[in-house]
Amino acid sequence: MIAVILPLLPVVGAGALLLLRDRARLVGVVAVATLLLTLALATAGAVAQPSFSWAWSPMIQTRLAVEGFGRPMAVLVPLIAAPIVAYAAATEDDGRRRLLALLLAFVGAMLLLVSAADFLTLLIGWELVGFVSWALIGHRWRDPDAVRSAAQAFVTTRVGDLGLFVAAGMTFAATGSFALTGLAEADRGTLSVIAAGVLLAAAAKSAQLPFSPWLFAAMAGPTPVSALLHSATLVAAGAYLLIRLGPELAAVTWFLPAVAAVGISTALAGGVVALVQTDAKRALAGSTSAQYGLMFVAVGAGSVAAAGAQLVTHAAFKSLLFLGAGVAVHATGSGWLGGLRLGRALPRVALLSAVGALALAAVPPLGAAWSKERILAATVEASPWLGAGVLIASLLTALYAARYQLLAFGPPEAGTTVAQRYRPGAAELASLTILASVTLLFSAVWLPDGERFVASMTEGALEAGAAWETAASAALIAVGFVLAWQLFRRRRLLTLGLPDRFQAAAADWLGLPTATHAMIVRPIEALALALARLDDRVIDAGVRGVAWLARSLSAVLSIRGEWTFDGVVRGLAALTLGTARASRATDDLGVDAAVEAGARGVGVAGEASRRLQTGESHHYFVIIAVGLAVMLGVLLWSR
Amino acid sequence: MSCYGAGEDDDPNVLSAAIFLPIVAAVLIFALGHRLAWLATSERRLQSLATLAAAIPLVLLALAWLSFEGGGGFEQVEALEWIPTLGVGYRVGIDGLSLPLAAMTALIFVAATVYPVDLRGRGPSYFALMLFLEGASIGLFLALDLFLFFVFWDVSLVAMYFLIGAWGHGDARRSALKFFVYTFAGSLPLLLAILGIYLATDPRTFDMAQIIEQQPLAGAGLYAVLVFIGFFIGFAIKTPLVPFHTWLPPAHVDAPGPASAVLAGVLLKMGTYGFVRILMAMMPDTFAQFAFPLAVLAVVAIVYGSLVALAQTNLKRLVAYTSINHMGYVILGLAVAGAAVSGQAEAQAIALTGATVEMVAHGLITGSLFLITGSILARGSTYEITAYGGLLQRAPRLTGLTVLAAFASLGLPGLAGFVAEIQVFAGTLAVYPWLAAIGLFGIVVTAALFLRMLGAVFLGGLPERWSEFRDLGRVEAFALAGLLVFVVLIGVVPAWLLDVVDSFAGPFVGR
Repeated sequence: MIAVILPLLPVVGAGALLLLRDRARLVGVVAVATLLLTLALATAGAVAQPSFSWAWSPMIQTRLAVEGFGRPMAVLVPLIAAPIVAYAAATEDDGRRRLLALLLAFVGAMLLLVSAADFLTLLIGWELVGFVSWALIGHRWRDPDAVRSAAQAFVTTRVGDLGLFVAAGMTFAATGSFALTGLAEADRGTLSVIAAGVLLAAAAKSAQLPFSPWLFAAMAGPTPVSALLHSATLVAAGAYLLIRLGPELAAVTWFLPAVAAVGISTALAGGVVALVQTDAKRALAGSTSAQYGLMFVAVGAGSVAAAGAQLVTHAAFKSLLFLGAGVAVHATGSGWLGGLRLGRALPRVALLSAVGALALAAVPPLGAAWSKERILAATVEASPWLGAGVLIASLLTALYAARYQLLAFGPPEAGTTVAQRYRPGAAELASLTILASVTLLFSAVWLPDGERFVASMTEGALEAGAAWETAASAALIAVGFVLAWQLFRRRRLLTLGLPDRFQAAAADWLGLPTATHAMIVRPIEALALALARLDDRVIDAGVRGVAWLARSLSAVLSIRGEWTFDGVVRGLAALTLGTARASRATDDLGVDAAVEAGARGVGVAGEASRRLQTGESHHYFVIIAVGLAVMLGVLLWSR
Repeated sequence: MSCYGAGEDDDPNVLSAAIFLPIVAAVLIFALGHRLAWLATSERRLQSLATLAAAIPLVLLALAWLSFEGGGGFEQVEALEWIPTLGVGYRVGIDGLSLPLAAMTALIFVAATVYPVDLRGRGPSYFALMLFLEGASIGLFLALDLFLFFVFWDVSLVAMYFLIGAWGHGDARRSALKFFVYTFAGSLPLLLAILGIYLATDPRTFDMAQIIEQQPLAGAGLYAVLVFIGFFIGFAIKTPLVPFHTWLPPAHVDAPGPASAVLAGVLLKMGTYGFVRILMAMMPDTFAQFAFPLAVLAVVAIVYGSLVALAQTNLKRLVAYTSINHMGYVILGLAVAGAAVSGQAEAQAIALTGATVEMVAHGLITGSLFLITGSILARGSTYEITAYGGLLQRAPRLTGLTVLAAFASLGLPGLAGFVAEIQVFAGTLAVYPWLAAIGLFGIVVTAALFLRMLGAVFLGGLPERWSEFRDLGRVEAFALAGLLVFVVLIGVVPAWLLDVVDSFAGPFVGR
């Protein structure tokens, strides 16, 4: 039963919120309490591994189960969501109750997704997560930009959802059931199609190339929404799916290389975007794509365990960084990285954010450093080129992590006074502190039993890294930090000395959104418009055709007299009569009368059809109705 | 009559009562509506009375549902001799296909009858036509005799013609005429095809169950193809299947909201129901011959309907074209279920179940959407999407229900449309994988067009002229909620519906 209650509990909490009065403390406490309860339940579930089967129909069985990598995910989601929701309750005044209810529903949908043991349930959770994110991104619905962005995010991820539709359908076609375990039975060709669908779905959801830009659009939502959807929900779903199904799909020869290729290109491109972005939240969004790219690389290199560890550690530090950015935006009214440097104004927030930035840069002994190292070890093992790519990505990560922290929370320029006196509230600081603590807590993975724990949670094996790999990545991190610090001192960290136009293009995913719009969205809209015009013309042609036909018919009739028409009527009557005769040779009066009444009906209808032009066509239908009634009457009488 | 299933001697006449009580009520209201002072003076009283009458079949069909056994074959059959010399009989009954459709029909009629509409001082005629149409529509789905089927088919056209022509707006007469002429033109080949199949029976009969048992056209070659074409034209126009759809948009745009809801929700299903009940059941070999081209046409309808809908700026035309898209899903499921493939019985059963659920889901969802457009027109006097904006501020109830219906229509899981579409696609992927892949494109376009519509009408800034926009009244909200609650119920716990449908679909494909 736990398996059913787990995703339902937050949804019930969301419903309860809507019944409460919209007071910050009241709704905040109820929402956080719901999540803590969910967390407790999820922890129990992760241990007990409950499952629950449920029949849709005699043909379709669905199953919920807290198993495999779903176990740590089920715990992670409410763990990260609880401080975020507390933060949201304290900071968002506009539509607070709706926002909190939707955040809870978001958690519920994600829990459904991670406890799905069949493709159908997975698809349900998958799309519900997308739907709630639409409502969350469009939370400020009076702003047309937010509404557009919400639609863009939903439609883009739905393109990926088609992949899951195909995977689900093909699994059913091959095995007669939607169960994830059925993949083992599928033949190679089918499995290949399923793998393609899964990769498409995962790439779209996890904001990998070429879908990455939707994550920028998702920034239109309030900060807590970004914090949650970048860490433990929505975006996490893609990587989760690959971690869950990667080992089964590895039998398809092209699958792992393709996953790795998507991952490494996004890791590098996202790294560049994060490095040149001048908006705090967008810089973090670029880094989200890049970090998920690394998880894809890990899966592609055959180490789902490393990917899983990266997913979990990333969730903690990325939500921390986002909430920190939220405070910064709140304090200054803008997210422009050129105008923040809030180290003095917000010392505690700066310190907490630094924990997140260090984790992002993968500095030991934080947990994130451990997972990065394992990813590197796995990729070097798989392919030296891939390993080199990961090393470059590590350098980029260290650079943009340091850049973000210095520009957002670095010391102010000499001579400027600290103008703002924004003091974050207790709830905000507490949320940040909790997330920073969780980030620090994940350092425990370096302990002797950490390795075994991660392996058991992800059901995958881990490669231990060679000493030179550890040294190389540590050196690269150091290089990144020093470089960032030097640029910072010379006041060139914001633009990196790049020309404006190049910088603007690079910051917006190297022009990818514009290209997508021009090459996909615009042609589809043009095609739609063209088809609509065609349809209208066809309608017109149809109408004209009917009118012309009626006109010609009446012309013919008026020239040739009644005989043509009579002929038609007689023909029809003869046909009907023939039918009657063929059925039985008895010429019983009732049938004859019935047939003749039918013929009369056709006759009057034909007569009336000539009036199509006269505008009195309703007479025609009255007559038909009367004719039908008479016909029915005769038939009834003949019984 | 051995071909009838169990339940023949059960409590009789429930089904006939569901057909004829609304017709009797229609006659009474038509005859007495103007004469009885307490009715003639209050349209509200008249509407309440009509709604009560419209609800009778719903109650009766709910009773029939409760005693439905689901053993395959027809149940609760009521049969009377009518014209024995011709093999015509009055025969009605239910199975896992007709019962959900008839129940959905009754539900939509209750919502449509109670829904506020500009009666133009002709209340009694309006409600009489509504109730008459309800009886005829339920009769069509319950009929187990081809002759009876055809009678209900044609009288439903006449009633709908008057509803559009007399209570519509814009160029209502012309649209109504186009609707009538076009669909009536479809009736003629349908009639000929019915006669064609009748002539092949031995002994001669119009009894559907006997014809299904006889399979009179098995191996009949060209003759069977001609009969197939006759049925196909009649049903394809009614469904409507691209390219026979051009009567639909004008009819919807100019029809009053409740009539649109009935037209889309109920009358379109007559076409798809005919595909299953007659074409697939009575001449499966011929149907299998044409299954692939039919599936191609269905995919064309799915993609074409969604793209043309995307380009619409008129709210009601937009919904009308999504109907074409959704009917494409139904036909695709049916083509898959009727295709001549071996070893895919499970996939074919799931496709047939999906298509049937789509018929029900589309009725409820699109019925709601058309009622909603009626409410918007009543308040804003235009269907132009760009004229609106930010209505959420003034009308949260209207917005909430529209969002629910729109997401149901674009196939969000947890709502009825998804339950249908996933099954149709799962089945299609097994039989015609490439067609399924193309058809999936429609799912994205539908999402885009509904989100764009929601954004343009309900979100963003509120234009000055709508600062006094009224939210849904209580009656409107209840009527919509009554339909949408089933959309949610089917979406969340589909078993109660799928079990019934499966009792028909499973044996049908020989699973």
